Amino acid sequence: MSIAFGTDEWAQALVAEVNGSSEYRNSAQKWGSDFNGNMLFAFESDEALPDPVNLLIRLKEGTCQGAEFVSESTHDEAGFVLRAPFTLWREILERKTLAAAAILKGKMKVDGGKMTLLKHTAANRVLIHCTASVETDFPGE
Amino acid sequence: MDRLYSPLQGRLDGVVYTPDQFVNEHHTNYGRIHFWTPRFVVDPKTTKDVQEVIRFAAENNLHISTRGSAHSQSQLGISDGGILLNMASMNQVISLDEDNLTIDVEAGMVWRDLVHHLKKWDLAPRVLTNNLGVTVGGTVSMAGIGVASFLFGSQGDNVVDMDVVTGAGDIVTCSRTENSELFWSVVAGLGQSAILTRATLNLRRTKKMTRTYYLVYDDIRKFMVDAQHMMDSGKWDYLESWASPCPQGTKPVNGRRQVFAKWFFPFHPTVEFDPGDEPDDKMMLEGLDPYDCIYTDDIPTIEFHERLVPIFELWKAAGTWEHMHPWMELVLPWETAADYIDQVLPDLPPGILIGGHILLWPAKGNVSKSLNFMRPEGENLIGFGILPAVPPKFWDRVKPLLDTASMLGSAMGGKRYLSGYINFTEDEWVEHYGDRWPEFVAAKKKYDPHNLLNPGFIKYGNALKEQG
Repeated sequence: MSIAFGTDEWAQALVAEVNGSSEYRNSAQKWGSDFNGNMLFAFESDEALPDPVNLLIRLKEGTCQGAEFVSESTHDEAGFVLRAPFTLWREILERKTLAAAAILKGKMKVDGGKMTLLKHTAANRVLIHCTASVETDFPGE
Repeated sequence: MDRLYSPLQGRLDGVVYTPDQFVNEHHTNYGRIHFWTPRFVVDPKTTKDVQEVIRFAAENNLHISTRGSAHSQSQLGISDGGILLNMASMNQVISLDEDNLTIDVEAGMVWRDLVHHLKKWDLAPRVLTNNLGVTVGGTVSMAGIGVASFLFGSQGDNVVDMDVVTGAGDIVTCSRTENSELFWSVVAGLGQSAILTRATLNLRRTKKMTRTYYLVYDDIRKFMVDAQHMMDSGKWDYLESWASPCPQGTKPVNGRRQVFAKWFFPFHPTVEFDPGDEPDDKMMLEGLDPYDCIYTDDIPTIEFHERLVPIFELWKAAGTWEHMHPWMELVLPWETAADYIDQVLPDLPPGILIGGHILLWPAKGNVSKSLNFMRPEGENLIGFGILPAVPPKFWDRVKPLLDTASMLGSAMGGKRYLSGYINFTEDEWVEHYGDRWPEFVAAKKKYDPHNLLNPGFIKYGNALKEQG
């Protein structure tokens, strides 16, 4: 059953998806071990998303310790922020665009250590995959 | 008959072919990614022939692509409606200078033929590529990297002097001291400024035999510690290494289960020796910490140079030689190499290595003086290459994987080796050459003012117009 994007129910579904992924558990073993691995996905408003949406995901060593939608596109607990227009996020979540490619081409902005992200490309690719795996009702659908 | 056939043929000692005489190889290269049809294929006989072809092209608004063994995998060695200049027809040894350890050869000389020619004098080129079935002109135009590059740089670094025909149609002899700007424009210059027709190459004396130690590592970082130790020890003549998968089963990658592997790192340091003066194994391996030393192999030096021939023959027999070869090779900074390899290998399906392999090259950054062979800063470097043979029906799956590996490598400070599958945008070409780009473009403008040579690979955008 699809869950409305931006709701607490959706955030909890993401937590379950990540923690149920052996792919994430293995590829992210070192993610957040000696740095703040919490991610904030900033879905910037565009023609498909009237108001911006920000998702904070608490990540450490292959586990997701919580997720919630927050009001601002910055957050004290976030170690990294990935910013992109909602339409680009949709392309990424629908696997039409690789997140790593979007970051490397500068289409997706990164706040935080870009080299750390690159050194953990596989972990973050799986995180995106988990996000894409949540059955979602996106705005405008 | 093409109206330009007779005028072109009439000016040459060599042979001109028209499309009705083409063979399949004239339409593509080893990459089998791009398929182009030239208007003419020309087998030149002399440097003067090459000059005449360039003049004829300028007069008739044609462009020229050069081809040696066509081992490139992007838009090199093929021509889309122009003249494909098959330099393999100029393949003779001109003279050997045993005192100065140099040899003068035509640019279409195949390295394997040269190695055999030199065998009776116990001489060899200083650097040989893994695949010896490529030409002097081809690899010098690319850089030419091999298992002795940590000592001697690229094959381009070991050219003493050469004759070239510029895109303006001038025959010029150039070296580090004579017409040096043109010399360094041609070395690793992708045939953009001039066509190499003759080169004098540095040689070295070899011993009769080689001993190779088949070491294997289970950790890339341990491998790198020993690689640095070996490069700095002065003991070794050749360093060759790989990444080799031990399949473990299947795991999900992007939601699809695929075979995954534990990756090992075979390392094959080799030393030459003369019979009766065998190397002391304990001394050679002192200070190294491999996971295992599996085997030691003594073979004649000539066989060492040709060590990959049986593998290539196997690939040919198995049919994978005819597959697509979108090789993705790059030179990485020492500091980021292990992290990069950690990210790329775990999700690489071992199956794409059927008919291919993963290369590792420990290298020294300061040995090569080539200006156009772009590599990261640093004393120590690591070359890394995913060299698959891909059935065309799997290309859609493999391409994003290689594109991402390439982009990730660039973001981590790596520089692509340009003989492989290159999919650069204009901006990426500029980024690749960095500070060298203005000089690279200026040389193109100066020596190939009509933009005749090897079009379609480098995306200059408006750069040629802007500087002119």
